[in-house]
This record gives sequence, structure tokens and C-alpha cells, in this order.
Amino acid sequence: MGYREIIERAIDTGREVLPEHEAYQVCEEFGIAYPPTRFATTREETVEAAESLGYPVVLKIVSPAVVHKSDAGGVIVGIVSQSELKDAYDLLFANVKEKVGDVPIDGVLIQKAMPKAAEVVVGGLKDDLFGPVVMFGSGGILVEIFKDVSFRLAPLDRDEAMRQIKETKAYEILKGVRGAPPSDLDALADLIVNAGKLLSALPEIKELDFNPVFAGSDGSVVVDARMVIGS
Amino acid sequence: MVHVETTAGSSLDGLFKAEGIAIIGASSKVGKPGNKIVEYALELDFKGEIYPINPGAEEIMGLKCYRDLEAIEGKVDIVVVVLHSDDCVTAAQKIAQRKDEKGDISVVVVVSGGFSERGDEEGREREKALLEPLMSRGIRVVGPNCQGIIDTYQGINTTFDVGKYKKGGLSVITQSGAFAVSYLMWADPLGMLGLSKFVSVGNMRDVSAIDLLNYFADDESTKVIALYLEGANEARKLIETAAEVSKKKPIVTMKAGRTELGGRAAQSHTGSIAGSFEMYKGAFRQSGVIQTFNVPEFYHTAAAFSKMPMPKGNRVCVLTVVGGPGTLCVDELITSGVVELAKLSEETKSRLKEILAPTANVGKPDGYIDMTGSVSETLHKEVFKIVLSDKNIDGVIYLTTPPAFLDEELLAKNIVSAYQSFPEEERKPVLSVLLYGFSVAKGRRIMEDADMPTLDYPDTAAQVMANMIRYSQYRSRNNC
Repeated sequence: MGYREIIERAIDTGREVLPEHEAYQVCEEFGIAYPPTRFATTREETVEAAESLGYPVVLKIVSPAVVHKSDAGGVIVGIVSQSELKDAYDLLFANVKEKVGDVPIDGVLIQKAMPKAAEVVVGGLKDDLFGPVVMFGSGGILVEIFKDVSFRLAPLDRDEAMRQIKETKAYEILKGVRGAPPSDLDALADLIVNAGKLLSALPEIKELDFNPVFAGSDGSVVVDARMVIGS
Repeated sequence: MVHVETTAGSSLDGLFKAEGIAIIGASSKVGKPGNKIVEYALELDFKGEIYPINPGAEEIMGLKCYRDLEAIEGKVDIVVVVLHSDDCVTAAQKIAQRKDEKGDISVVVVVSGGFSERGDEEGREREKALLEPLMSRGIRVVGPNCQGIIDTYQGINTTFDVGKYKKGGLSVITQSGAFAVSYLMWADPLGMLGLSKFVSVGNMRDVSAIDLLNYFADDESTKVIALYLEGANEARKLIETAAEVSKKKPIVTMKAGRTELGGRAAQSHTGSIAGSFEMYKGAFRQSGVIQTFNVPEFYHTAAAFSKMPMPKGNRVCVLTVVGGPGTLCVDELITSGVVELAKLSEETKSRLKEILAPTANVGKPDGYIDMTGSVSETLHKEVFKIVLSDKNIDGVIYLTTPPAFLDEELLAKNIVSAYQSFPEEERKPVLSVLLYGFSVAKGRRIMEDADMPTLDYPDTAAQVMANMIRYSQYRSRNNC
């Protein structure tokens, strides 16, 4: 399914937030890297998917009613075996039921765990005044507290994205601290550029979060993607 | 929002190349804005005609007074409206009528307030009624709710607060008349600014910051544009325009609204974190606009650009007579993230050591010279010449109190003479911090008159130098 169809279907079905795995399909078309990911609707499919991806894996809930997945206990990381996976599957559903109640659930995502790297955020939005805008900064769930972010109008080129990166404190971490290797800044800048292209090309996407992005020494991977549809 | 059909596109030449200015609401009563406007209109050397309009007066300030617009036989380019808001709409209709009959009026400056800035329906409706007859005829409108315009070169002045002003390279665009007029008045006693053009856009319903940026970009007497901004409806277009204008001349801005709440109902982290101030900040950087974050930084950055050449690189020398302020200055330079302290050449070091006291510090750390209090007026001249000829230095911040045992005027003359001994194309930006402020006004005045900017504070000087470097980097990465 192409990204146009994905967005049209979301609009037709009245969804405001694209399911995560569909958001990745949109990423695909704009050269934005994400981990090998499978969507499953049953426990058996989940096990099959994990076996084919190889452990360790991450399990995530897919539900239009759960916007902030980690707040709802809807993300379980570091699953290293089939037995852990089966337990995690039950725990995931129990968590969500406890935190948000009986809500419709589409299924789960099984995602290959990515090697640890500096965590940053790449975001974007359609602003009433500025049009498409991209954001870069320190990632994680505290992004709204620390606000170590910097903005640019999209589209933009790699040099501009590089200057945007360098304006933040996150840059100090990306240079490599405490023995960690420096991140591949060109790859990260390209990801920002591509996020800008995506926003400029798809007027229906109102807001965009890639949070976190793992900015590794050999490339940048989006490990969680949220795309909000709106007019 | 008020929407008015317009036959836009008319040039702003009518604003700055006017031959006749009519003032509706001119007053013979001292103490009225309509009286000050006539007084100040006369203070600049305007070559054209000024026509005060007031049915109750024979003459104002020696000028013949007209009962209405119709009675004026000569050509009218600008009409200034300084009336009670209730009377402005009628005035606009009269202006429209004359435009239909004579075809001469090209710009209307509405000084009066009482329109959309009130934030109520009555104000918005009145504004619409004011603008419609004018804009539908292609008449450009400045304001309403503004201080109007100044052009020191053409001698045009429609403000009621600024009289005769020194000519120079600064042009001002402002959404607050009070803020920008304060800037001019603050700078005036020491001659810190030379003004080219000034436009207070008020409610900015027609003539906008975008129009003016485009106009000033090609205006020969404008060297730097100072922009005080609260907000713009066409923010993206403003930034795209600024990015082009910045390739020709610097735009220095102060943007209000840092603490405004976004208020966006968002479903993403990005959406909830993205305030308009933060987006402006990124967009300014992207487009080469130099954004300042405090008032002295704004004042002095625009002043420095109007008087000094751009730095060719980012290597700065701090030349000081006093320790503490020198250190504060270095701290602020490093904090900027764009400045490098200059590595003095061996020649500079040895020549300075020869002439300075043994207690002087030359180049520890790099780029830092503490001449100590023993340095005389004439020795200043020698030191400046040595430092300014060092190829490893792109800009200099000089700091002194200056000590009372020196003659401040003689000191200033020596510095000016050293600076001017270099041909223009070899000159570098020099910012001089005279920490005693107004107590040494005489010396500062001499330097300012020679286009050498003076400042009161070491940290502000560092911010200004960093801003000049940022701009120079924008120019060089755009190959212009």
C-alpha cells in the first residue's frame, strides 16, 4: 500500500493518528530508516514474527485509543526468548486494560531491538503561520520538560539541518561522551531533511514525532513514529 | 480579521519621494500631537510643500492652513491623518474623492488609534471602513495606530516625537512606535545612530514589514535594517523575504512574545512544544536575520552594523585596560559559540611587549591583551595600529573606564586617528566599551562622530561582536 492510500484510508476511517506500522510505511517512501517490524493480531502470529525477526525484540500495543503508549504500559522492551515473549504478550494487554480500560485494540507490533545509541527527537508540524516546520532536539519522554529543541522551516538542506543540530545541547552528546562513539551526524541531518520533505509533500500530516530516534555511529533509526492527520 | 480588496503592488516610492504632504488634523494649539507633527515636519530639510489642514486656523507655524483637502492646488503625495478615530473614516472618503478627481495621493499615514488594536468589533469595523476607500484605489496605507514615517535624506517626517535627526545608514521598521522612537531618542545625545528611514507600521494593515524589507534592500542609503516585530500574519513570506534581503544587508530584529503560550491542542510532543517564538528563532537563524534577546543588544547591534564594516572571520581580540570587565567580555564571547579568540601574531606580541609596561599581559589567553592602567593617550594610538594590522585578528573589542588621569577627548582622538590611518577596505570592526558611560560622554561623542561605536557594557559588546560574526557567516555561506 502506498503512502497516499494509507493517508486516505486514515481520513476515511476518521483516524487522527496513523497506526505506527503504517507510519513506518510512509517513512519508507521518504528514505527514513526504522527497525524491522511486524504487525500481528494473535499470540501465534506474534511468536512467528519474533522468531523470524530474531531476538531481542520489543512489543508494542497498536490501538487508536492509546496515544501515549509507554504511559499506558503499552511498550515492553528487552524480550530475549519465546517464553519471555509469551509472558510479555499477556502483560501488555493486562497493562493497557488496567491503565486505559477496555478499549479497541488492533493488534501488536513486534520490533527488532536496535543497538543502544544516543536518543534524540525529530519532529515536525504544519504551522498556521509558518507552514511545514521541522524540530530537532534531545529525545525521550522528557522532551516537553527540557525543551532542548531547535526549529527550521521545511524544506531545508543538509547544511541547514546540521546547523539546527548544533544549536542544541543534544549535539554535545552526539559528539560522543563517556567512551561512546560519535554519532553519524550526516545520517541524522539527512533524516531531518527527509522529515522536512515528507511534511512538505503530505499536506494531510499535521504533526509528526519521531521519538526517539537512535542516532548511532552508523546511521539513524526511528524507533517510534507518530503521525497525526488533520486538515 | 479585516479583509479588504486591494489593487496592491503600488510602489512605496510615494512614501519616500513625496513632493507634497498634507496633514489632516494639523493644530495651532501647542501641546497637541497635530501641532508637533507640523513642527517636526518643518525641522527636516524637506524640499516639497507641507499643507496643514484645519478649517479653524489661518496658519500654523507660518504655513498657510487649508480648510480641507480639496482646497490644496499643488500635488499631494502623502496625507497624514491625525484625527479622532470617529473622524478618520470621513477623512478617508475625502481622500478617495480627491484621488478620483486629481489622481495624486499615493500614501496615507494614519497616526490615529482606535481601530483593530482595540480588539473589539467596533474597532475592526471602523478599520475596514477606513481602509476600503483607500486600498481599493491603490493608495498605500501606513498604520493605523502608528507614529508614521521619517526619511532624513528627503526631509520627510510625519512623527510627533522625533525632530531633526542625524543622517546615516540605519532604517527602522517597527510594530511599536514607542519602542523604536525610544531607540532613536536614547541614541541621540551621543550621536550613536545615523538614520536613513523610519516606518512605524502600527496595525500593519497594508504597508507591511515585508514591503519595507524589500524596499530597503534596494535603498542605497540603508546599510542596516532594524526590525521590531510582535507578529506577522504572513510569517513564512516574511522569512523568505528576509532570507533574500539578508544577502544584501543585515536585518537586526527584536521579537516580542517570548513567554507567549502556544495554546495548541496537540497530539504530539512536537505540537505541544512548538511555540511561535521558538519557530521564529529557528527561522531567523535560517534566513540570516540577526535576532537579539535583550534591548541593549538590539540597540547596539544595529548601531554597530550601521557604522562598522563586517568582520571577515570570527577571530576576536579583547584589548583592555581593566581586568574584570575584560574577563566578563571574554566569558560572553565564548558563550556565544561563534567566536574564537584570535591568536596574536609573533610580530604583534613582540611589538606590543616593546612599548607596553612589563606588567602588561599580551596574549594570555590567546587574543587577550591587558595594557594595564599605565597606557597613555598616545600609546593607545600605537597599540591600536599594531593590533589592527594583525592579519590574525578579524575584530576588536576595546575596554576602558577610562581612568580620570587621562584626557578622555585626547584619548578618543588618538583612537580615531589610529583607526582612520587604515584605508577603508582594510578596516575591521572595533567596538569600544567605555565603562564610565555618560560620565565620559565627551570622549564617546568624538568616537561616535567618527563612526566608531561606543558601549557601556562588556557583555553587550561581546553579544554585538558575535552577532556581526553570525551575519558575516550567513553572507559567506551564501557566497555574497
